[in-house]
Amino acid sequence: MSTFRPRPDASPKLAGSAVYGMDLELPGMLWAALVPSPTAHGRLRAVDLAPARALPGVVAVGAADVASLLSGAHGDAERPVFPSETVVFRHQPVAAVAAPTLERAREAARAVRVDVESLPVVSDLEDLFPDWPGPEAEGSPHIAAHVRAHSGDVEAVFRSAETVVRETYRTASVHQVAIEPHACLAMVDGGLWRVRSSTQTPFGLREDIASLLGVPEEKVVVEGTWVGGGFGGKNAALIEPYALLLAKASGRPVKLSLTYREEFLLGRTTLPSVVRMETAVTNGTIVARRVRLLLDVGTSLPGRDFATGYSIGFLLGPYRTPAFEVEGYAVMTNKPAFGPHRAPFAPQCVFALESHLDHVAREVGLDGVAFRASHLWQEGTTTPMGQTVGPFGLATALERARATAARWRAEKGPDAGVGVAVGFWSTGTGAGGEARLRLSPTELTVVQGEREIGSGSVLAGVAAVVARATGLPRERVTVEYEDTAHAPFDSGVFGSRTTAALGRAAEEAVGSLLEELRRRTNRSGPVRLSVRNGEIVVTAAAGERTIRDLLSDSERRAGGLVAVGKHYGKGGEIDETKVDVGTFYPYTDFTGAAHVAEVAVDRETGTVRVTRYAAFHDIGTVIDGATAPAQVEGGVVMGLGTALTEEAIWSEDGRLLNAGLLDYRLPTLGSVPPIEVAFVEGFPGAGPFGAKGLGEPPIIPVAAAVALAVRDATGAHITELPLSSERVARALKLL
Amino acid sequence: MPPFSLVTPTSVEEAVAELRTVAPGEVAVLAGGTDLSFDLDRAGPSLRRVLSLRRLPWRTLDWNGPVLTVGSTLPLRSLEEDPGISRRHPGLYQAIRAVGGVPLRHRATLGGNLGRASPASDLLPVLLVLDAEVDLVGPAGSRSVGVDRFLLGPRRTVLAHDELIRSVRFPEPRPSAYLWQRVRPANDISQIAVAAAFSPSERRWRLAVGGIPPRATRLPDAEQRLASSVAPTDPELRPMAEEASRQLPIAGDRRRASEEYRRHLVGVLLSRAVRAAAAHLSEGAR
Repeated sequence: MSTFRPRPDASPKLAGSAVYGMDLELPGMLWAALVPSPTAHGRLRAVDLAPARALPGVVAVGAADVASLLSGAHGDAERPVFPSETVVFRHQPVAAVAAPTLERAREAARAVRVDVESLPVVSDLEDLFPDWPGPEAEGSPHIAAHVRAHSGDVEAVFRSAETVVRETYRTASVHQVAIEPHACLAMVDGGLWRVRSSTQTPFGLREDIASLLGVPEEKVVVEGTWVGGGFGGKNAALIEPYALLLAKASGRPVKLSLTYREEFLLGRTTLPSVVRMETAVTNGTIVARRVRLLLDVGTSLPGRDFATGYSIGFLLGPYRTPAFEVEGYAVMTNKPAFGPHRAPFAPQCVFALESHLDHVAREVGLDGVAFRASHLWQEGTTTPMGQTVGPFGLATALERARATAARWRAEKGPDAGVGVAVGFWSTGTGAGGEARLRLSPTELTVVQGEREIGSGSVLAGVAAVVARATGLPRERVTVEYEDTAHAPFDSGVFGSRTTAALGRAAEEAVGSLLEELRRRTNRSGPVRLSVRNGEIVVTAAAGERTIRDLLSDSERRAGGLVAVGKHYGKGGEIDETKVDVGTFYPYTDFTGAAHVAEVAVDRETGTVRVTRYAAFHDIGTVIDGATAPAQVEGGVVMGLGTALTEEAIWSEDGRLLNAGLLDYRLPTLGSVPPIEVAFVEGFPGAGPFGAKGLGEPPIIPVAAAVALAVRDATGAHITELPLSSERVARALKLL
Repeated sequence: MPPFSLVTPTSVEEAVAELRTVAPGEVAVLAGGTDLSFDLDRAGPSLRRVLSLRRLPWRTLDWNGPVLTVGSTLPLRSLEEDPGISRRHPGLYQAIRAVGGVPLRHRATLGGNLGRASPASDLLPVLLVLDAEVDLVGPAGSRSVGVDRFLLGPRRTVLAHDELIRSVRFPEPRPSAYLWQRVRPANDISQIAVAAAFSPSERRWRLAVGGIPPRATRLPDAEQRLASSVAPTDPELRPMAEEASRQLPIAGDRRRASEEYRRHLVGVLLSRAVRAAAAHLSEGAR
C-alpha cells in the first residue's frame, strides 16, 4: 500500500474555493421556500397563494400553475410536482414561493393558506400488518411491491429437520445526514431548463427532471456542484423541479436550499422494517431457510420494488442454502419515500441475518463464527438465486477477522465482548459510463461528468487509475468536470461503482490513447508515458518521443490529443425460474467484508462502548492507498451510528419527532474507537486492475458485529436496532 | 434572526441602567452565548438589544480560606484549569468537563448556566449539592440567594429584569462527584445527571439530579437514607437508590429516555457518585 498522499480535494475545500450547492448565488436571483402540508395524510381542499403573492416581489407556484408553466408539456402523471388532491406525508410541499430575500420567502411560505381535511394516518407498518400479511395484502393500496422466490420443497425440509429456529427482528429508520442539505440554483434560459445542484448523479438528475416536467432530456442541463456528502440521499431529483418552476414563473434565477430540519423532513431515507427468520438445521448444516421482510417504504410509488427486490438477497446472505423461500412486502405509510442510504438496507438485513445465524449456532451447540464460515460462498458457488460467484475474498477476510477476534478475546476484560460479522456487496459495474482524455505536452486531463462527493472516488480514484494505466506520476493527471451538455455520459456516483466503472471507462480511454501514440511513434511493443525535463514523453523499448512532437497543429490549438473510453458492463442474471412473484435484482461482481468489534458493556446502565474495531475487506485491488482506508473508517463510523444511536422517531400521526441533530444522534469522535483496516487483494473484480467497489461495503457488517459483541459480553440477545443503552438495559433485565 | 443592537457596558452601574431602559422581552443578556445563540436564531421581532457582559470585571476566581468565589463571566475552561478546583471541588470539576467540548468551555460560564436555567444544564446539580450562593446585583444594590431558591423552573429564576448575576460562591470544599448518562458520550444532552457531595461541617450528604425537566433538584428523602454514613456500604446505598428512583420528579420525553429508564439510572448513578465522593473523602483523610 502506498504512503500518505494529500487528497486532491483537500486544498480547494480547506481554502474555501470549492463551491457547494449551498454556496451558489447569482446577482438578481430569488430565494425559494417550500409550503409544507400541515398533516401527514389529508384531502387538499384549498391552497390559497394569494396572501403570499400580495407580498412585494413574491412569486408563488402551486399545482394549478404547473400546466401553464410547462406550456403543453406533460409531466409524470404518477409523480406530479405538487399534489392536487391528497397529501400523503407531513411537510410534503404543496406549493413553492420565491422572493428577493430568504426572510421574505419564508414569510410568504407561511402566508399561504393550506386547507386540508385530515384523513387517517398510517405511521407504523405493524399497525397495518401486525402479523405476516395474509390474503388481505392482495390488492391492498398499502402494498407497493411484493416479491417471492423459492427453491426446493421448503415445507418438507422444515418438517424433517433436526432443529428449527424462528425469530423476529426489527430495525429503525436512519437518515443519511450528509453535511450539506439539498441545495440548487435553477434558471430557465431560452428553451433550456438549467440547474446547478449538489447531486450524486448529474445525468440521472437530468433524466428525472425531464420526466417530472415532461420536457425532452436535451432541454435540461444539469451542472453538478461540489457535493457535501451524498450517501445515497442525492441520487434523484428532490428539490430541483420546484426551483425550476419558480425560475420559469419569475424569469429569474432561483436558489433553493433546504434547512437541516427540512432535510430530515423531506429527504428519502431508510425506514423501519420487520424481518422474520426461520432456519432448519440437521447435523450442523443449514438445510432450509425461510426469510420474510416487511419493509416500510413510506410514500414510494407502486412498482418501485427495488427496496424489497434488492434487499432480500442480503437476508439470505453469502451462505450456501439448499432450500429456501424468501418473501417481501414493501408497505406504504404516511412518511416521505424510502431512499437509498449507503448500501441500501444491507446493514439492517445483515444485522438480522448474522444475529440470527449466531443464535441458530448456539441453539445447536456450535460456535457462531465456525458455523457461518462452514456455509460461506467461495468462488464458483452458485448463489440461492442462481448467480455464480466470481473471485471472492470473503472467506480469506473472515479467517483474518477470526484471528484478530481470538487475540482480542484472549486480552479482553470481564465486561467486554468480541463480535465477528460478515456481509457481501455487489459493485455497480453494470451501470455504464464514459470518459474523455486530453493529453497536452505537459498534462493528462480526464474529462468526465461526476462531481466529487467526498469519498475521493472521482478526484483520487479515477486519477489513480489513469496514472497507473499510463505510467504518469499522479500530479500530471487532473480530473476535470463538465455539465451534462458537454461531459461524456456517466451513470452517477452510487452503488460503489465510481472507481470501478468510471475508472474502467478511463482505462479504456487510456488504451486508445496509448494505441494512437504507438501508431504515431511506429512502435511495435507497448508504450507508456513518463515525464522528462518537465515534458510528457512516450516511452517504449526503442526510445522516447515528446508529446509536443507528436501533436498536430490543430491538436495543439485544441489543447491536446483526445481519446474516449466507454464502459458498459453487463449486469448479473438470476435464475428466473425460482421467482414466483415480483422482481429480484441481480448482483454484479461480488465483494465483501468481515468485521470485528470489541465492546465494553456497563452492566448496570446497559451502555455499550465500542473499544476496538477491525475491518477486513475484499477490494480486488487497492487503487488509491490513501482514500481506500479512509472510506472504510468512514463507513465503520457511520455503521456505529446505525448500530447504537441513530433512529428517526415517528409519532402515530406521522410526525418526525427528532428532525434535527440534537436528538438524532450521529456518532462524534468521542464514540469512535481505534479502527484497524486491512485489505484482502487477489480476488479481482470487473474494475480497472481488478478493483472492486468500496463505497458501501464498510457500513454493512457494523451493526451485526456490535450486536454479536454485546451478546458475547453479556449474553443479551437483542433483536432490534439501534442497541440503545435502554434497550440493552431491558435485555439485561435491569428494567 | 431579527436585527438587534449589541451593547457592551464597561461598568456594573451602566449595565444595570441599560437593563432598565427596555422592557423585559426586548433585551437578552449575553455571557458566553453558548445557550443564548440558539434562541437568538429563533427570536421574535420584540428582541431589540443584546447586552454583553464581556467588559465587566467579572472574570475572576478567588479563594478566601475555604470559600471559593467565581465571577459570573469567567469561562468554564479557566475553572477547569485551576488546580484548586479539581482538588477541592472534584464534582464541580467533573461537571465542567461534561459541558460540551473545549472550544465551547472557553465561552460558557457559570453565570450563563444559572441565568439561562436550562433543564439540560450539566452544572446545576453540582451547584445544588455544593450549596452554592448566587450573588446578584441590581439598582437597589446586592443580594445573595442560594441556588435552590434561585432556580424556579425551566428557564425561570428569581433574577429580576434589571438584575445581573455577579458571582457564585462555594462555602466549603466538599468531597463530591458528578456523573451523567447520555445517548452519546460526547457532545450530547444528558438523559440524566447526578451529583453527590458530603458536607464536612454538617456531616451529611447532599444529592441532586438534573438533565430532566422541569429543573435540577435536590433529593432530600434519598439524602435522609445516608444521613449518618460518611462512607456508605452497598447495603446502605441500596435504600438510597430506591428512594431516589421513587422520588425522581419527571416528565417523559421519549426522544431521550423513558421515565422507567431514568428512574433506574438515577439510583445507579447516585450510588456510584456517593462511592466516588466517599473515595475522595478517604483520600483527603489520609
